[in-house]
Amino acid sequence: MIQAQNLYFSYTGSPPYVLNGINLEIHKGEYVSVVGENGCGKSTLMRLILKFIKPTDGTIISQAKRIGYVPQKNDFSNSNFPITVYEMLNSYRKLLKLKDKDVLAKNLDQVGMSSFSSALMGTLSGGQTQKILIARALIGDPDLLILDEPSTGVDVGSQKEIYGFLKEINQLNKITIVSVEHNLDAAISNSTLIYHLINGRGHLCSPQKYADEYLKKTK
Amino acid sequence: MLNYSFMQNAIFVSIFISILCPCIGIFLVLRRYSMIGDTLAHASLAGITIGLLFDQSPVLGAFIFTSICGALIEFLRTYFKKYTDLILTIVLALSVGTAITIISSGKLHANADSFMFGSILTVTQFDMVMVVILSAISVLALIFLYHQMLYIAYDEETAKVAGVKVKLINYIFSILVASAISVSIRIVGVLVLSSMIALPVATALQLGKGFKITLIFSIIFSVIDIMLGLFLSFYLNVAPGGFTALVSVAVLVLVLLTKRIEVGIRAIH
Repeated sequence: MIQAQNLYFSYTGSPPYVLNGINLEIHKGEYVSVVGENGCGKSTLMRLILKFIKPTDGTIISQAKRIGYVPQKNDFSNSNFPITVYEMLNSYRKLLKLKDKDVLAKNLDQVGMSSFSSALMGTLSGGQTQKILIARALIGDPDLLILDEPSTGVDVGSQKEIYGFLKEINQLNKITIVSVEHNLDAAISNSTLIYHLINGRGHLCSPQKYADEYLKKTK
Repeated sequence: MLNYSFMQNAIFVSIFISILCPCIGIFLVLRRYSMIGDTLAHASLAGITIGLLFDQSPVLGAFIFTSICGALIEFLRTYFKKYTDLILTIVLALSVGTAITIISSGKLHANADSFMFGSILTVTQFDMVMVVILSAISVLALIFLYHQMLYIAYDEETAKVAGVKVKLINYIFSILVASAISVSIRIVGVLVLSSMIALPVATALQLGKGFKITLIFSIIFSVIDIMLGLFLSFYLNVAPGGFTALVSVAVLVLVLLTKRIEVGIRAIH
């Protein structure tokens, strides 16, 4: 689904690199959590997959037919923006040129937010916002879902619901998930693989192996 | 008052302004770009002086020069990513510098002052044709690009993921802003033009509704502001631009007060 070869990235175009020779292969149907310290290059890797930025050197290819994206809530959320849940979802559907309006009600129902259709986005809690953003990302049946720290600003109860739902759509609908995570417990419990980035270099490992390494370090 | 042909022309143009300005203004305000309106209003003054200098239509001159400046702002964004306010200063310097140089050269065959404060006496038949053409193209473009522009304003990254050509639409939007400004400049004038773009939207935002309803109310407030400003300025014999700005501030204050009283009544109950 995603292949990166000798991937280098620097915001200035020259060393030091934020990403320093990444080789990564993510197969269809995986749920990969990208973890690491602040500034290790997690978000940069995500932005490269989304083609927001171009590699300084090397290649990164995504074979996804359609990507669903759940941005970090704090990155774009403008609580004063006058937009209802329905308007936000419907405009996104229009951008994707999809004719079927029923998909909006279906997706809201899937995340348990059916009754919030006419609510203003700015009046929702962190957990509610995140659920709506996931419902939006699933419009158009994407085969790759990319999330940027989905538990930021979300209460513990909603976090459980959100990760349970992500695990469910990964297993039942075979949607490949790549999630930039700072919530290590969620990453260990829900992912099929962990991509651990340290100073711009990374390696894939099983959640169990990562848990052993991580728990050893914290003990 | 309505028997005067200059007043009929002014009302005709005002109807187009009051629809077009908030349609463009809502995207400018929500993207926190209100000051672009002010900068491009000054660019339009330079365009007017260039138009007058070459004995061409000032509205056409304003549209062309303001479009170039709008595109220049978009272009400079690549070079001044972290200092976007500086871009406005650069374009403002270019515009005001051009306008002052031309006006002070004494080579103008007409008076540019009426464009500073707005005037209902100076609307010509050619201006009216220009206003209709520019307004029709702008409104059609807005209808066609509604969802793209809404998403760029709300969540630009997701718009990119959904395949929206953000840069291209930003350039088109610059031309739409230039169009709205050129259309409005005759009646409203350069100095208060940005208020016509931002204030009806600021008033509608106080209602706390969704995007479509906010847009509809922005248009309603804009019609009230401009028509009331136009009629009252006629009877008071003052420039319509300045008085329309005062009316729009008064309407905003009225809505804020009504909202306050409503919250107070609710709290008591």
